[in-house]
Amino acid sequence: MTCAQAAKTSPLVNEFLRAGKAADCPVIDAHAHYGPYQGVYFPKPDGAGMLEVMDRAGVRLCISAPHAALVEPRRGNPVIVEAARAHPGRFLAYLSVNPNYPRELAEDVAGLDQRDSSIVGIKMHPGWHEYPLSGPNYAPAFEWAQANRFPILSHTWGHSPTCGPQEVRKVAERYPDVPFLMGHSCFGEFEEAIHLAATFPNVYLELTAAYRVSGLIERMVAIAGSTKVLFGSDLPWFDEHFGIGCIIMSHISDDDRRNILYRNAERVFGIEPAKDA
Amino acid sequence: MEFFDCNVYYGKPPVPTYRIAPTVADLLAEMDWNGIGEALVTSAQQRYDDPVTANSQILRDCAGEPRLHPTWVILPCQTGEFPGPDALATALRQAQVKALWAFPSRNKYLLDRNTFGPTLELLSDLQVPLFISLTDSSGPYSGWALMSAILADFPRLTLVAADQDCWGQDRFFRPLVEKYPRFYFDVYEFELAHGYKDYCDKYGPDRMLFASGFPGINMGAQMFNLLHADIREDWKEAIAGGNLRRLLAEVKL
Repeated sequence: MTCAQAAKTSPLVNEFLRAGKAADCPVIDAHAHYGPYQGVYFPKPDGAGMLEVMDRAGVRLCISAPHAALVEPRRGNPVIVEAARAHPGRFLAYLSVNPNYPRELAEDVAGLDQRDSSIVGIKMHPGWHEYPLSGPNYAPAFEWAQANRFPILSHTWGHSPTCGPQEVRKVAERYPDVPFLMGHSCFGEFEEAIHLAATFPNVYLELTAAYRVSGLIERMVAIAGSTKVLFGSDLPWFDEHFGIGCIIMSHISDDDRRNILYRNAERVFGIEPAKDA
Repeated sequence: MEFFDCNVYYGKPPVPTYRIAPTVADLLAEMDWNGIGEALVTSAQQRYDDPVTANSQILRDCAGEPRLHPTWVILPCQTGEFPGPDALATALRQAQVKALWAFPSRNKYLLDRNTFGPTLELLSDLQVPLFISLTDSSGPYSGWALMSAILADFPRLTLVAADQDCWGQDRFFRPLVEKYPRFYFDVYEFELAHGYKDYCDKYGPDRMLFASGFPGINMGAQMFNLLHADIREDWKEAIAGGNLRRLLAEVKL
């Protein structure tokens, strides 16, 4: 190919461009899903298909919430725990919760005391469930996470009444010990999301879909710092190479790239570093 | 791999992303950073200001820069702002412009037979690619419905559906690929997992055109995605630039 100047500035970029991955940069995908879904044609949404993508892109593991769990948590949550068992070290699980079934939510969260070791976070989707992030039905999840310093990944979107930056600010102030990942970084209200991540030590920018916006990663790194930004992909929606390409080709340092691609996820989720890294 | 970007623009849009290319020199620098060899370009002025003035300006901006290939934005000929079918071929030949864009809703016209009949028949004869953004609309038609309506009326037109969004579009574009041999689409935000392989194994790579989407999109995203797609190298070469080079070579000016 026409030689990318970026490759001349960094051995890491050069290796990713050459091989599509780098052995000493074992990527962690902090925002993945699993299984088929109504709204799109997925060629291979199962575990084997996701692993093919992950292997090509040098993704060590995905932290996933099955689509079925976003519709009906008690049907979908076991799916990803099973996948984690079937593919040790490749999948970790979010416990998805639905605030429109508050009794089940409270019971499921209480059950986290005896959770499977693959469950490393809670997944919320206030937009899909049409329920505000700061609403009382989510409180049992936040309170358990606060008591246990347990990560929460929530879908966030700019100008959304249920999961925009104003809602994130409320829960960030209320639950300062919860590592809170803003899924999609409040897409469309990025300045507010970056400000939240810079202001609250427990709030992080998660890059799914947002990675594409030209220059955004540089802006996040400059204002919030690369220790506050995590890679995610929405796999099987998106090929991880697209998002990784955004990080690799951004005008940031290799240290920043490594923070975003795996170091921050290791720290936030308590994941043992890979031997090669 | 020789990347030839079919969807990129320079200039200062009214609402910029964080990283733009205000000038042609800035655009070339970004292309160098990402290893993009050539590009079919428009300007922010063409997209957001007066296309008539901007269609002339882009020729001056790109003069002497062989890596950049200017395009024009079309308007209805009835107002005298854009050449009618009688003069269009000569104007394109003189300017060496081999691709056109249409923004019907932004420029407030109907992209239909009443307004553009003879022009679109001419473009079909000349095999000049017409890029239409999937974010645009014309009367009751928008997005893929607009592509479908235009192709139904002008099935020989070399139509490129541009700017597809990231949420898997195969259910929309595959029927058009099957029915219209001159239908193409750019890969803009095409990032479906297994998307390249699943599509190309069934249809081949010939209808896909590489597009970075810069400055809306990080220029390295689709380059990196295609570079490491799990398809044959010659298919990647075709999508990266071969298909666009072939299309431009087929233009009969």
